[in-house]
Amino acid sequence: MIFTIFKKELKDTLRDRRTLIMMLVIPTLVFPIILNVFVGVSSSFTEEAAKKKVNIGFVGAPDNYVTQKLHELPKTAGEREIIMYDDTASLFKDIRSDAIQIGLYTPADFDRRMTNKEPAPVTVYFNATDLGMKDRAEVYLEAIQEQAKVERYQLMELDEAELSPIEVQYQNIASGKEVIGKLAGGILPYIFIAFGFLGCMYPAIDLFTGEKERGTIETLLTTPVRRWQILFGKMGVVVLSGLLASTCALLGLFLSIEVFDLVKNPELLDIIHEILSPTFILMMYGLLFPLTVFFAGTMIPIAVYAKSFKEAQSIITPLNIVMVLPAMVGFFPGIELDAVTAAMPVVNIVLATKELIAGTLDFSLLLISFGVMIALAVLAVTVSYKRFDKETNVIM
Amino acid sequence: MIEALNLLKEFVLTKQQRKELNTTDKFAKAVNDVSFTCQPGRVFSLLGPNGAGKTTTLRMLSTIFKPTSGSIKIAGIDAVANPQEARKKMGFLTGSTGLYARLTPNEVLKYFADLYEIPKDEFEQRKEELYTLLDMHDFQGKRIGKLSTGMKQKVSICRTMIHDPEVVIFDEPTSGLDVITAENIIQLIRNCREQGKTVIFSSHIMSEVDLLCDDLAIIHKGKMLFNGTMDAFKQEMQADNLTAEFIRIVNDSQNATV
Repeated sequence: MIFTIFKKELKDTLRDRRTLIMMLVIPTLVFPIILNVFVGVSSSFTEEAAKKKVNIGFVGAPDNYVTQKLHELPKTAGEREIIMYDDTASLFKDIRSDAIQIGLYTPADFDRRMTNKEPAPVTVYFNATDLGMKDRAEVYLEAIQEQAKVERYQLMELDEAELSPIEVQYQNIASGKEVIGKLAGGILPYIFIAFGFLGCMYPAIDLFTGEKERGTIETLLTTPVRRWQILFGKMGVVVLSGLLASTCALLGLFLSIEVFDLVKNPELLDIIHEILSPTFILMMYGLLFPLTVFFAGTMIPIAVYAKSFKEAQSIITPLNIVMVLPAMVGFFPGIELDAVTAAMPVVNIVLATKELIAGTLDFSLLLISFGVMIALAVLAVTVSYKRFDKETNVIM
Repeated sequence: MIEALNLLKEFVLTKQQRKELNTTDKFAKAVNDVSFTCQPGRVFSLLGPNGAGKTTTLRMLSTIFKPTSGSIKIAGIDAVANPQEARKKMGFLTGSTGLYARLTPNEVLKYFADLYEIPKDEFEQRKEELYTLLDMHDFQGKRIGKLSTGMKQKVSICRTMIHDPEVVIFDEPTSGLDVITAENIIQLIRNCREQGKTVIFSSHIMSEVDLLCDDLAIIHKGKMLFNGTMDAFKQEMQADNLTAEFIRIVNDSQNATV
């Protein structure tokens, strides 16, 4: 009987355009769109910043050490033009109007200080809203500084190596998978959870409130099917819809990488391939299943209680924020799965998935997270059953 | 046969409802000590003004609501103790019955046949008989959402009768329907009587009652005011016509309460 109801409800749901869009279309498109926009914007920004010709305003003696070296820098450091200014006031004005992007000020005795081996100051003026320009100035001045140092060492007949007694070497021992998992691993479960919730939402309202509103529930209740069988048949479709929406998000990620070729960096691509292993996917579904049942079990009592689609939607939509907001915890790199966070619903699933991606999951904490979600899912199903069994809730 | 004995149905009143009804009572009695019997091959009509308790009574008979007290037997089965078995014996149709708009008549009938666990051969034969009787072959594969009201009503009738129930319960079955569409329902009730089924229907349209019913009961504010045959009702009538007599009985009861 449960399967008969499940089959019919699934057929009915799959014929509802609104549910299909929320359950299949949007989740499938979200990753390709996000990646496309991200890759497009970041690559075009980098390319544009590198290609952009920089006008450097200069206040100081013409042909001093800095201007000479600026002219000598290779073209690969970016195209540039040096414009001489008499004072800093007109320099500021032109930075503001974007006629020049970097302003350099050197005192009149700059070369004398250099010759006397005194510190020679260079002041850099820039507009922080013009992204990348401060970096360009840093690159130029560091190159000039290095050159000046080498020249000075030669003049003083010093060996550069002797002046650097400690050679510091930094070695990252975390794997690329671990870095991605800990830093960006929260995004994946967040998207799955958000779409899992949305995927459950429309079928829950349609199959419970909708059936009440359309006047079909009364007939169904006069058939020789027990109420819990009706509830379980319908709930099965709600849970499946949530899982389908999450699966479509995963499919979208797969399409972005394998079909649309949106991830160009080969190292990153290797890491993603390593993360998305069948074991990872299976374990992730193991975590998502009780969570989706919990979502369904939370929405169904509301959908049973509500008298209209609009009323149900107006209660469940804010619930979305309460349920999905904790999933954002995964975006913060410092928060990790421990005995406390493992007991917090939604948060535990996000953090466990993050650890799973990083390959650093503690199985005892996984068991706590899983146990907590199963207990909550059972509680939510019990509440749903009680609500659905209450005759005044089911009938308008 | 339907046997209802001392039916009582109370609903818990919320604070808001108590305020609206200006009462301190925690419960409202929708049906209060109602008893009647509906015989096979006869049409029993449950009459009453809006809010009289007709729908609540029929919902208790159809096991959607559980009575607070009292007993119900449907075709010899105790419907309170064993609602699943009782439901197998009954068909239920209301005027406000909806259908699954995204399914076709064929799919709806198959769904209900499966819920009633009708064997496949029996279902096909029964469906064919009903389609022929109601001239439904042309639209059996169309989505219900695209059908006219009349066509939808025919699908509802098929859905109610697909398991060939012994007892058929109609709750204001013609409300909101035009005369042509309502005629399908009236014909269905007649057919049920001819086939020896037990039929109970609620209505407040006296012409319909006069046309169809053999026995009738009048309820008002949850209490039974009259219970007997149509012939006995007509013999005891003090007013000129059925509608006037119905109004007189209801008003007398109202005045007696005041």
